[in-house]
Amino acid sequence: MSDEHDAEWYEKKFRPMIYLVAGILLVGTVITYVADVLGIAEKWGFRNAIIFALGVATVKASAVIYIFMHLKWDINLKTISLTMACAIIFLIGMMWLTVGSEIQDEGGIDGKPGGTETTWKHGKPSKPKALKAGDS
Amino acid sequence: MELPYNSKPRPDTGLYNGKVGIWLFLASEIMLFGGLFSAYLLLRVGADDGNWSMGLMTKWVGAFNTFILIASSATVVLAWVCLKLKDWAGFRFWKWWTVGFAATFLIVKWGYEWPAKFTHYDITFTSNQQAEKVFADVFDKGSYNDCEEDHRKIWNERYDADGENKDIPEGKKAWGKVDIKDKPLDGHVVGYYTENEQGERQHHKVEAAFGISFWSHAFAWRYDARNTVLGITDTFSEKGIVAVEIAPTHGVWDAHPEEEASAANRRYAEADNDTGHDGHAGHGHHKAITIETSQISRLSSYEPAHSTFFAVYYTLTGLHALHVFGGILVMLYHLLPISQRVYESDPERFTNRIEITGLFWHFVDLVWIFLFPILYLL
Amino acid sequence: METTTQSDVSHEDHHDAHEDHGHGNQHFLTKYVFSSDHKVIGIQYGVTSLLFLLIGFLLIMCMRWQLAKPGEPIPIAGALLEHVYANNNSGEPVFKDGVMSADGYNQFGVMHGTIMVFLAVVPLGFAAFGNYVVPLQIGAPDMCFPRVNMASYWCFFAGCVVMTVSFFIPGGAAAAGWTAYSPLATLIPTDGQSYWLIGMVLLITSSLLGAVNFIATIIQMRAPGMTWFRMPFFVWAQFVTAFLLLLAFPPLEAAGIMQLMDRVCDTSFFLPSGVFGAGSTTMAVSGGGNPLLWQHLFWFLGHPEVYVLILPAIGMVGEILSNSARRPLWGYKLMIGAVLVLGFLSFIVWAHHMYLTGMSGKVATFFQTTTMIISIPSVILLTCLFITLWKGSIRFTTASLFALAFLPMFGIGGLTGLPLGLSFADLHLHDSYYVIAHFHYVVAPGSIFALFAGIYFWYPKMTGRKMNEYWGRVHFWGSLIFMNIIFMPMFIQGFAGMSRRMSDGGATYSLLQNPDVTSGALSELIMKLNDYISMGAFGMALIQIPFIVNFFYSIQNGEKVSSDNPHEATTLDWQTPTPPPHGNFLEEPKVYGAPYEYSVPGANKDYLPQTEPNRPNTA
Repeated sequence: MSDEHDAEWYEKKFRPMIYLVAGILLVGTVITYVADVLGIAEKWGFRNAIIFALGVATVKASAVIYIFMHLKWDINLKTISLTMACAIIFLIGMMWLTVGSEIQDEGGIDGKPGGTETTWKHGKPSKPKALKAGDS
Repeated sequence: MELPYNSKPRPDTGLYNGKVGIWLFLASEIMLFGGLFSAYLLLRVGADDGNWSMGLMTKWVGAFNTFILIASSATVVLAWVCLKLKDWAGFRFWKWWTVGFAATFLIVKWGYEWPAKFTHYDITFTSNQQAEKVFADVFDKGSYNDCEEDHRKIWNERYDADGENKDIPEGKKAWGKVDIKDKPLDGHVVGYYTENEQGERQHHKVEAAFGISFWSHAFAWRYDARNTVLGITDTFSEKGIVAVEIAPTHGVWDAHPEEEASAANRRYAEADNDTGHDGHAGHGHHKAITIETSQISRLSSYEPAHSTFFAVYYTLTGLHALHVFGGILVMLYHLLPISQRVYESDPERFTNRIEITGLFWHFVDLVWIFLFPILYLL
Repeated sequence: METTTQSDVSHEDHHDAHEDHGHGNQHFLTKYVFSSDHKVIGIQYGVTSLLFLLIGFLLIMCMRWQLAKPGEPIPIAGALLEHVYANNNSGEPVFKDGVMSADGYNQFGVMHGTIMVFLAVVPLGFAAFGNYVVPLQIGAPDMCFPRVNMASYWCFFAGCVVMTVSFFIPGGAAAAGWTAYSPLATLIPTDGQSYWLIGMVLLITSSLLGAVNFIATIIQMRAPGMTWFRMPFFVWAQFVTAFLLLLAFPPLEAAGIMQLMDRVCDTSFFLPSGVFGAGSTTMAVSGGGNPLLWQHLFWFLGHPEVYVLILPAIGMVGEILSNSARRPLWGYKLMIGAVLVLGFLSFIVWAHHMYLTGMSGKVATFFQTTTMIISIPSVILLTCLFITLWKGSIRFTTASLFALAFLPMFGIGGLTGLPLGLSFADLHLHDSYYVIAHFHYVVAPGSIFALFAGIYFWYPKMTGRKMNEYWGRVHFWGSLIFMNIIFMPMFIQGFAGMSRRMSDGGATYSLLQNPDVTSGALSELIMKLNDYISMGAFGMALIQIPFIVNFFYSIQNGEKVSSDNPHEATTLDWQTPTPPPHGNFLEEPKVYGAPYEYSVPGANKDYLPQTEPNRPNTA
């Protein structure tokens, strides 16, 4: 990180912060695991389970990025923030458009993945034929 | 020739060279893993009923490895802080811990998790009648109808964690959509039969894979009935196998739940005793059964070719494990005496290197944080 | 960004340092082979990629013969190929009696595309010129990570070796199209496909290392005073190109790994359930994959890749035109904006390559729209370049001729792309010769002309000698004429519905073979065009001979340049000794002005180098 901190800061502030974040991460893992053992997918529905598990993962990931990778103190450096912003925008674009263009069913990922609602089927467009590019 | 900003940050960007480089590299890594995550998402959303065999994962192993990796992520940043505080001994202490954790991660992954899967088989059958007979035999019941409830329970555990979820309309459950012959029986291959010219059968025992008892039995064998038509050679045609001896495993198929506690015994039951042809393993509670090759539609260990889920699983975790491996090599280099000399001649530059390694290592941890729920839990 | 003068890094002793422990007593191997000097690496890239440019061209020569004279033995090359080339999987020679079989045609087609894109034009434009010129233009002593740079070249070299070796393995090279669509690419029995994938993974790794290095260099190593908007346009083009490589290539690497898994570990990433193998038996695979996944990941790279091919070329053309017209680049900031927008948009247009895959109408509309939008910045770039010429006193050197020819050629290539970007027009034109003509106009008379221009332009800096102008002009006019003879008729063939992957040049579907067919059969004229195109291609080959001879002859015998700045250019790359020593600049350059200060009123010369401190108007 840009050198605005002295040794004392590292000793007194940063080190306890590391222990704290490590604790949060471990607790997060335990929570996800326990939730799975308790079967939240059955209790809350699959969609909520996804939101829960990926939400916890995102919190964990943010903690790692923010503190461990000390982005908290580096985020104002344009080089880093712009690069990461680009990567993340393109990543989302890639996922969204790739998956989006292959799901014919408007139901999206509402149903259980692997279940019938979301099964991708070729040659059975749900849209009017006239709009389809591939039909000839 | 000394390049500018190798250790001191450039005033207008606030960064030294290496840090720019590593962040750019990480951006690229995001896209690399992002490509694979997209593949995961697309394949999963498009998976046929009951084809997403995620229920086969051992969750606690994944959770354990998550712990390990998170711990290593904390120690690697502690090592860097020690260097910032000019504490070389502390740096070495935490760095060794990081390497230790990382190595543990790889040992669990490559030494236990993967091999355990490579020795664990799924069998599907050529016809429903054959399958009914085999399943009735496995569950020690007279007919398939008697054991269907057990079978369904296990199926739901494996493929359809929320099988009893009321949200899914009746008749749409994966269980009901798959023929019995396509509902796999899983276990270890503990023996096989060949036939000589006189038509006599010979029994062969399969020992633990590579002589390591921990890795039990046949390792990544493969058989697909379609291969015989297509003329592709596989393990069965190479060995001339006419029948295979399977010990249904992991308790999920076990008809005697009261003996669940002795999981460790059960796992090696087939190996340490004559499994016998009478269908009973040495420990008496675990039944090894013989299945004719002609009855088998497909036999596959939990290898990448098993199913699309395992393909994604091995590719993602394999690529991740390679990153871990690369990280270990770099961190070991930083523990060599040569690095100490670098540190003594230019402490700031060496500290920067450690920071860069740390950033990479956190990214590896980050990827795993997402891999764990999507590959093991959801 | 803030301009700063560095005090902590001093370069005043640079020349001495160079004499003492720089390059003087280095071993030949470390100096020229395993060098970490950006200039040597740039030249290594240049030589390797020019070699592959030639190989790729020779491959297409064989194919052009086959298209014009299907089934006739290839003269000279045929006999050679018959003996050195691999057998196909059924044990038959691919070039039996010197005749190119359909297998051979497919393999050459794949390798022509792959070599030209990944081993020739990208490494020449991005890596070779980028390595040589970018650090010079921003006033850096070297690339940011010299050893990573070296690793990048050797990764690239390993990729080249793997690709080349794949020709000679049993079964021959990859034969499933340069786009390697699954399931064909997964199921095709030749190991060449696996080699191709391994080669691609190496090449992608190489370009990843290169891209990180370029971006870091441009961000970190700019000389004092070299602010972002004092960087030459070429540097900007390279900067955006590097970002495209950094973020668009990894998904293909992921896809490559997956296809490799499909081929080696029998997984089914790209194989749907129920793929049929031989006869009517379904394949012995787990199934459940999605062939379109490959196409998405491939084209997610593939479209930015187009801009990787063209942006360095536009950058070079900008440099050369501004220099030869003695005019500032018109709309410098506008062009930078256009390049940035181009780079950004190029990530969200990829599926216009996939209209025929049956995507939903909504998605197709989205991609059509973005495709139409992305043509705007391209037109802005081209227009700015044209306006730069306005009222200029143009110096017609060979370099500037090539750069000038780039403009209309790229224009044709770009505009003919519009019908392909519209899903309804694409229905007819998809996979026809029209597509070939379109992208070759962009890449061959487009990018490659710009690269030729770059070679003629920077040759004096690299060697200290000029290439022969007379033969340069012969090379230029010949290339221009033959390029158009080759590619213009392909538009007509494409409109007539000639498919691009036919190994007999459409003979099977000609009127001669099907006299009863009233529509759809290829007319005699269309078939005849094959002959003309092939003649054009052979003419093209002949006219490259002066260039090749000129290139090598001039290294030793060309006219010596009288100064370090023979083109009277403003940018920093011409303010160095010729050729630049290790460390580039004798003293750290300080930048005082914009990159294209030509014909500034009040100046005593018609150009003001960026390092010139006495500037009549401080713009």
